[in-house]
Amino acid sequence: MSVGGRMHPRSYRLIFPEPATSSPGSSATPSVLRVRPASPPPKGPDSQAELKLPPRELWIAAHVPQLPLLAIATAESGAVTSSAPLVVVDTGDRNPRIIDADANAQAAGVCIGMTLGAAFALVPHLDARPRDAARELVLMRRLAGIAATFTPQVSIEAPDGLLLEIKSSVTLFGGLRQLCRQLRDACHADPVFAQVQAQPRFTLAPTALAALAAARAGARCFITDAGVLPARLKPLPLATLRWPEEDNVRLLGMGVRTLGELMRLPRAGFAKRFGVARLADLDRLLGRRADPRHRLVRHERYRGGVDLDHEIEDHERILTALRPLLDELEQFLRTRQRGITALQCRFHHYRAAPTSCTLRLASPEANAQRLQSLLRERLANLVLPEPVRRCELRGGALSERPLGSSSLWPAGERGHAPAGEMPALIEHLRARLGVDAVYGLRRVSEHRPENAQARAEPVLALAQTTRTRHAKAAADTPLPAPFRRPLWLLHTPREIDSQRGRPRHGGALQLLAGPERIESGWWDGADVQRDYYIASDPKGSRLWIYRQCTGTRKWFLHGIFG
Amino acid sequence: MFETHEKQLEELLAHPSVWRGRSRATVETFPTGFAALDAGLPGGGWPRHGLIEILTPQPGAGELYLLLPALAALSQLTPARWCTWICPPHEPFTPALAAHGVALDRMLIVRTHLPVWAQEQALRSGACEVAMAWLPRASPRAIRRLQLAAEQGRALGVLYRSRAFASEPSPAMLRVLLEPMVDAGRHGARVSLLKSRGGSREPIELQWAAAAA
Repeated sequence: MSVGGRMHPRSYRLIFPEPATSSPGSSATPSVLRVRPASPPPKGPDSQAELKLPPRELWIAAHVPQLPLLAIATAESGAVTSSAPLVVVDTGDRNPRIIDADANAQAAGVCIGMTLGAAFALVPHLDARPRDAARELVLMRRLAGIAATFTPQVSIEAPDGLLLEIKSSVTLFGGLRQLCRQLRDACHADPVFAQVQAQPRFTLAPTALAALAAARAGARCFITDAGVLPARLKPLPLATLRWPEEDNVRLLGMGVRTLGELMRLPRAGFAKRFGVARLADLDRLLGRRADPRHRLVRHERYRGGVDLDHEIEDHERILTALRPLLDELEQFLRTRQRGITALQCRFHHYRAAPTSCTLRLASPEANAQRLQSLLRERLANLVLPEPVRRCELRGGALSERPLGSSSLWPAGERGHAPAGEMPALIEHLRARLGVDAVYGLRRVSEHRPENAQARAEPVLALAQTTRTRHAKAAADTPLPAPFRRPLWLLHTPREIDSQRGRPRHGGALQLLAGPERIESGWWDGADVQRDYYIASDPKGSRLWIYRQCTGTRKWFLHGIFG
Repeated sequence: MFETHEKQLEELLAHPSVWRGRSRATVETFPTGFAALDAGLPGGGWPRHGLIEILTPQPGAGELYLLLPALAALSQLTPARWCTWICPPHEPFTPALAAHGVALDRMLIVRTHLPVWAQEQALRSGACEVAMAWLPRASPRAIRRLQLAAEQGRALGVLYRSRAFASEPSPAMLRVLLEPMVDAGRHGARVSLLKSRGGSREPIELQWAAAAA
């Protein structure tokens, strides 16, 4: 492994730039004391790179050797038992070429790049398989998943390379060497890679391309100093850059076989012959030019399941059985700094179809304790046809969880911003009572009373910056005078009796104010023509009643004041 | 020497959780919006946290007008906590609420067959300033739980109940009987404090406002 390799003596100077002579006690860290070589830095086209201290980026490249063969081997669950020499063939081309060959085939003289016909001529009993590109990507994504626990900046360099920018993670993992060791151990411990005994090769360099090139060459590379990069890259073969074959052939024709020879070429002439893109590649390789990478966005979901020792019917004991899964889920979410807004539970029974229940949350959540208490409410409503034999948890899509420090004040204390409790309360109520049972209120710009209000999703954001068009229209609508409208509105107007044209509701009603005509809605089929009155009943309640202006001219009770 | 002991005793007795028979308890309060009611209530307003009961002969007797100025003031605070309505008898009419100065985006309505449970959750959560519930019936034990939840979450719990429950004992810290004025010319109600820690014993007459003619 190249990661554990010996460090270049000058690399440490760049991490610890202070002069070592500052304090007498600094002898405890001998690596700091290393003095820079007495010789002046080599002058040359790359001498500018010497000035960049310390490097802005540090890249780890992982290269999986013989990925096509690995993909075939893992697809067949590691059981490539046939002793025949195995080759992987790229079938995309009209003339199939061999892209990977195992040790047996290579011993028999088959080499990469050979046509399939030529290989069969050499080894008649050759086992040729088509390339499984999808499986290769799955393997690389698996590797990227391991790498993503060390840094968010992970990208796959198709087909068999992986890049991690780790500069910002070094302190967190206790130093560069610690980080590299943990990364290597995590990859080796992965069951899929361990099964086929595949070990990715790791290299570290200040530029992404340099790390990749060294990893492909199988070279030992642990460089943190951009200054020594050109010298260390010099012996690497040209093919490690993965330039198009025709460029490589032309360069070979010019006698350029290594990167060192490539770097010696004059820039202008090189750009003229091979194009500006190739020159830019070279600049990126040496860190003279920025090399941003697309970070890999992973769409992960949590899945977990537990087989119960015996069948359980009691909700509380099911919750206890789910607790390890919830803890696992919390760990899963915390390492990703994410939360979930939906969680599905499935309960498997002996005969009956699995029962499932889904928990929906108002805001992203990652806390196992809170999820458990919500599940408790949700399970209280769940009827299980049979005892449960197996529980499964499936988390929904991950979403950004705002990271905040927990509050100093206890909930409800003065000075405490009630940001966190409200979503929790709404979720808690909804988990038990259903989503529709809990709602907020909203005004609508409408003259018809029954249309002037609507149920709304509770607004959780304290400062609402973007308002919808409807909310704005409602806010611009002039408000009625405070006592002209009732505080309660009946769902549907209730018809009330009348006697000689006078309304009665528990006795004769006394009309106090009115009529106020509301006539609207002829365009949408809910035409309204009403004369509204404020009336007082014998018991002292104030009512809002109306009389239809057309048709039967019946009286209706529509609202109650106070 | 003796004076300092007396002073210490006074300080001890002034603690909000100590209530002495005839004196007014020192509770944290906020104004009701009605000067006459403020003068009659212990502490000069609604308690900031705790459980109060409002008993009415029928729905629509003015029970919402009684609390509306306080609701409007609480919902305009920054940062405002929420106001939860549990099982209101009808839909609150949003234009009228907004006209009285209530911030609608701090209102939460809960429709449920478990009003006591929902109110306990709302009070205990600490997210609500006020949690109002319209309860058909509730045992003294449940009301006691609500009282404790309100103190824990530092919220004001309001129970709207029928006048028929006035004779039942209740652990609520304040019980108010509200009777509308039958006189049609005046829009108001008579408020009597059935139970309070040192409040007025006389009924208090309140005028909501003159109905627009």
